[in-house]
Amino acid sequence: MMGVWGALAGAIVLLLVLLAWVRAEASSKDSRSAWDASLREQVESVEACSPEIVSQIFSANDLKFILGFESPGLERLFRRERTAVALHWVQETSAIISRILQRHLEASRRSADLEIAMEARILLQYAWLKLNCGILFALIGLLGPQRLAGAALHTERLTQRIREALREFQSAAQLREPDGAGTP
Amino acid sequence: MTAMIKPLRVQEAYEDLLQRSLSRIPCDLGRLLYLASTRDYNTGNYHHDGLADRFSVKVARSALEIAHRQAFCKVAALSLEDLARDLATYLQSSRENPEEFLRIWQRLEPYRIAIPMEVSPTVARLFASNVRLALAVLRLRRESDHSDR
Repeated sequence: MMGVWGALAGAIVLLLVLLAWVRAEASSKDSRSAWDASLREQVESVEACSPEIVSQIFSANDLKFILGFESPGLERLFRRERTAVALHWVQETSAIISRILQRHLEASRRSADLEIAMEARILLQYAWLKLNCGILFALIGLLGPQRLAGAALHTERLTQRIREALREFQSAAQLREPDGAGTP
Repeated sequence: MTAMIKPLRVQEAYEDLLQRSLSRIPCDLGRLLYLASTRDYNTGNYHHDGLADRFSVKVARSALEIAHRQAFCKVAALSLEDLARDLATYLQSSRENPEEFLRIWQRLEPYRIAIPMEVSPTVARLFASNVRLALAVLRLRRESDHSDR
């Protein structure tokens, strides 16, 4: 009997996540075309958001401030605006992570002495970050950004960490190849 | 070959800008819009006559660009409550009709011109979204003030 209830609960959770994903997709549709066209290029030239900005996007204090007006219209506008910005941040972060890994793979291909353990760890971190982004993207539409501040800041910290680790890796690789053999 | 700009001169120009021009503006949003207005719409280059005379065109340009980016980051990271307060101060200092000001800002969104080049697209989006929300807050406050009378 417990097994049936467990399966049912699992199916409901899966359905809710799927529903959230569809909602999130729909609300980010307007930004998606612009994103695809130009923002991917911009991602390459700009730094990621600072933790202060991420805290601001997912801030519960702003929601509290808006709720103080007791205006359903203003509250609706706030929720719509913040959800769109939060989804945009997830997309940008996901694109930055892909770009970081792409650069790393390019550097690794040129490297003479690859460390398999190090490469596996980087790939695992990459997969974990991408999964985080996917879950955040699905849950933002369902729970609202304000309840996901902790998860968003965790993703932000991990992104910064992987970025710094790869920077160090690339500097070390350049030091190992002083004659510039690795340059294209 | 372009001449190198000394960072120290840019720092001096930046401090000069803070002291002479920016300190007279009463709010962060006002400072941001002022700095954005020194940027040429067509070329994206910054220009300030007084600063260029005291330093050089290139040094002034760099100082303005840095100041613009810093002012933008500060405003983008403001809480909604602080931004609404800042916007109210800006509205007051503009001496425009508040109703007209809110109507025009909500329709034309002139604040979009204040976004510097090469900022994160998400930060740019957060800024525009927050200003939209702050405008809605000010409008709501005005409407409730009117209905109370």
